[in-house]
Amino acid sequence: MRSVHRIATLVSIGLLVAAAAAGRGQRGLANAQADAVARIVAAAQGVLTTLDEAGRAKVQFPFGGPQKSRWSNLPSPMFQRTGLRLADLAPTERAAVMTLLSTALSRDGYRKVVDIMRGDEVLRTTQASGGAGRGGGRGPTFGENEYYLAFVGTPSATAPWMLQFGGHHLAINLTLAGSQATMAPSLPAAQPATYTFEGRTVRPLGNENDKAFALINALDASQRAQAILGYRVADLVLGPGQDGRLIQPEGIRASALAAAQQTMLMELVREWAGIMSDAFAEPRMAEIKTNLANTYFAWSGPTTNGSAAYFRVQGPTLVVEYAPQNSVDHIHTIYRDPTNDYGAKYTTK
Amino acid sequence: MWAGVSSAHRRDEYLQAARLAIDPDRVELTLDLTPGIAVAERVLRTIDGDADGSISAGEARAYAEDVLRAIALDVDGTPLRVALVDSAAPAIDAMLRGEAAMRIHASAAIPRLAPGLHHLRYRHTDSGGIGVYLANVLVPASDRVIVAAQRRDVDQRELVVEYNLRGDPTSRARAGVPVGLAGALVLIANLWWRRRPREAA
Repeated sequence: MRSVHRIATLVSIGLLVAAAAAGRGQRGLANAQADAVARIVAAAQGVLTTLDEAGRAKVQFPFGGPQKSRWSNLPSPMFQRTGLRLADLAPTERAAVMTLLSTALSRDGYRKVVDIMRGDEVLRTTQASGGAGRGGGRGPTFGENEYYLAFVGTPSATAPWMLQFGGHHLAINLTLAGSQATMAPSLPAAQPATYTFEGRTVRPLGNENDKAFALINALDASQRAQAILGYRVADLVLGPGQDGRLIQPEGIRASALAAAQQTMLMELVREWAGIMSDAFAEPRMAEIKTNLANTYFAWSGPTTNGSAAYFRVQGPTLVVEYAPQNSVDHIHTIYRDPTNDYGAKYTTK
Repeated sequence: MWAGVSSAHRRDEYLQAARLAIDPDRVELTLDLTPGIAVAERVLRTIDGDADGSISAGEARAYAEDVLRAIALDVDGTPLRVALVDSAAPAIDAMLRGEAAMRIHASAAIPRLAPGLHHLRYRHTDSGGIGVYLANVLVPASDRVIVAAQRRDVDQRELVVEYNLRGDPTSRARAGVPVGLAGALVLIANLWWRRRPREAA
């Protein structure tokens, strides 16, 4: 009888310790998120401090206005961006913008953004700008100066607002609301997809490409038959301008994948979900994992790495598309959360 | 007038992206048409009939109706009449740069269908050449429509959506009223029969 009491006591203590640890974990996460928000808001205010009144007027947009969904993969002025253009900034102002980005994004996310911008600089130096059409419009303008920052809403640790940064082949839409944040929808893309910078080879979306090819090649014949679509996909289906749309999922369901393959799928998704600060990326990954059984992986194209192939990952709270534009050297991708684009969950009562 | 910006940098292709939304009694079709920069002038010559360098509402509508004549929709082999709802063209400059899309919204009524499995076929029958196609079905807004499977040809000019149509719960409820009334009448009649005063034998 005494041993039964002893076991019951030990089990109770174990449960209490586990509950306390879980509580600490939750508190730890909440603290990390609150801390991240405070740092992002401080960095955003740092940008505002460096600007004069005209600059502050240029960067600031009302939260409820149309600026939120004004983003594109296209170069300027094909898509007319508004906000603070890097080319117009003094070095201290530009440094403050880059500090804000490095604060708001994870280390890998920031590197990806910088690599995409540098890629556009490579494009600028290798392609002649111009090329007006019959309508006499100006041709595209490339280069790392052609990126724009906008604050949609006022940077705040409590009220919702959005940090928007983008240009050719890049749209980062980070919505913050108190201690919560989402980066959906966002568009990381690349052209060239491979280039050399200071003697090293840079592939802004190289991990996305390689992890996807590794996954499709880790599937057995029957799994591939489910994953591979029997038709060509020429472009993003849910790219810019397709807010609020949700297509019927296709491909192989993750519940039909082995544990190791599911891990590979999650690591592939991390390439997009992990662009934002780790404090927000980890709970986002946990949410995606919760819905993993109902998440689909679809593929169109050859399965040999180095080929141009389209893929899509789609789950209840996730859409990722990767669409080569007739070439392995020109890639468009999109990242969405059908339940929470622009932080709809945080701002809709 | 809506002026969209497409996602791609197409040069010598004409991207025609179709999205189908299936309801129990109709299908909505949205087409985004984006000519690449190298073919935009050729496409615009067809749209800008009076060659005045702008696309009027009438020209946009006429072109949209032309495009829709090349679209075939059927349910279980019964052709559907595709009617233009509206169309919107971007500024001609943006289209000439090969980066803006014309959007066409059309709709087709579906005849009353019995609950069960049905097939909706979408086919783009244009002569092709410069066209590249996307055809997708949206997650149905009605919980009576459940997409079971999709089949496409390799170029996505054709999409067949296999879907299950559930019975209409409101019509089931309406159908249940007379049945319920009849049941109640039988019950009352039965009770009356049992309780009626019996004559002495």
